[in-house]
Amino acid sequence: MTDGDYQLDGLFQRYRAACPDVDAGPNFMPTLWAKIENRRGFAFTFERLAKPLMTVLAAVCILLFVLNLTGVGQNNSPAASYTDALAADSSAERTYYTEAIRDDPSRFQAPVEFRHSRSR
Amino acid sequence: MLIEQELIERARTGDAGAFNQVVLAYRKRILGTISRLIGRPEDVEDVAQEVFVRLYYSLDQLRTAEVFEPWLYRLTVNAAYDYLRRVKRRSESRMADLSEHQVMMADSIAGGRQEDEERQRGKVREFMDALFRHVSEEDRLLLTLKEVEGLSLKELEAIYGAKENALKVRLFRARQRVLKAYSAAKEAGTL
Repeated sequence: MTDGDYQLDGLFQRYRAACPDVDAGPNFMPTLWAKIENRRGFAFTFERLAKPLMTVLAAVCILLFVLNLTGVGQNNSPAASYTDALAADSSAERTYYTEAIRDDPSRFQAPVEFRHSRSR
Repeated sequence: MLIEQELIERARTGDAGAFNQVVLAYRKRILGTISRLIGRPEDVEDVAQEVFVRLYYSLDQLRTAEVFEPWLYRLTVNAAYDYLRRVKRRSESRMADLSEHQVMMADSIAGGRQEDEERQRGKVREFMDALFRHVSEEDRLLLTLKEVEGLSLKELEAIYGAKENALKVRLFRARQRVLKAYSAAKEAGTL
């Protein structure tokens, strides 16, 4: 223990003396019971609403599950596999294929000597 | 134990009269502990009521009446912790370190001037509060329970449900931080 430790212990003791035991005021118990009742009211309301809400949510879950099952059966044929999905995809048909178009063939004629040799 | 275990059992079953008696038996002790944990006399009753409200709604979770006191202390520590966090959020804009005003308070504490007793107490509380700002709220509570409340490591073990060695390490570190802040205040030439 250092000198500082002893001084700190002394300070803790003074702090304890500075925070003496407190006596409860006359309204302590009435206020406490009011707080308990207040929280009970909130808890009761929450519980009352939570039960029907849970029932509704459970019904929605079952409904979604059933719809999902029937939906899977309907969708089986169009996208059974990746290759089927590719085949079904018509986006390739809409793709533009462009190529240089020679609208005036005379502009692209071969040099004269070649033309002659070819004509021969 | 300040009360019979049978009274706790009755309170657990929803007996309002038995719960009233439990509160009356422990009220003074809990108020005192909270007073030292939070260091603000004006809010002690409010925090104590929160402890007993939590006790009322959690009594059915108590395994046996034998562990009632550590259970009650745990509720007290939790309520004090929540309070300190609320207060911290409110006063975050304030300076975290020891201000000149607090340093002057430390000076007056050490000087032992003849002042009004309550004012002097208030200064000690504020000075300790400034020192405790150098540790987390959790460590502040742990340190207060050990050093100010005088609880043993065994009792702390029961309250926190933690191993004694882990608590020792945490206590040592928290104490070192507070000591460092205290030494800094001294070096400032005030103590």
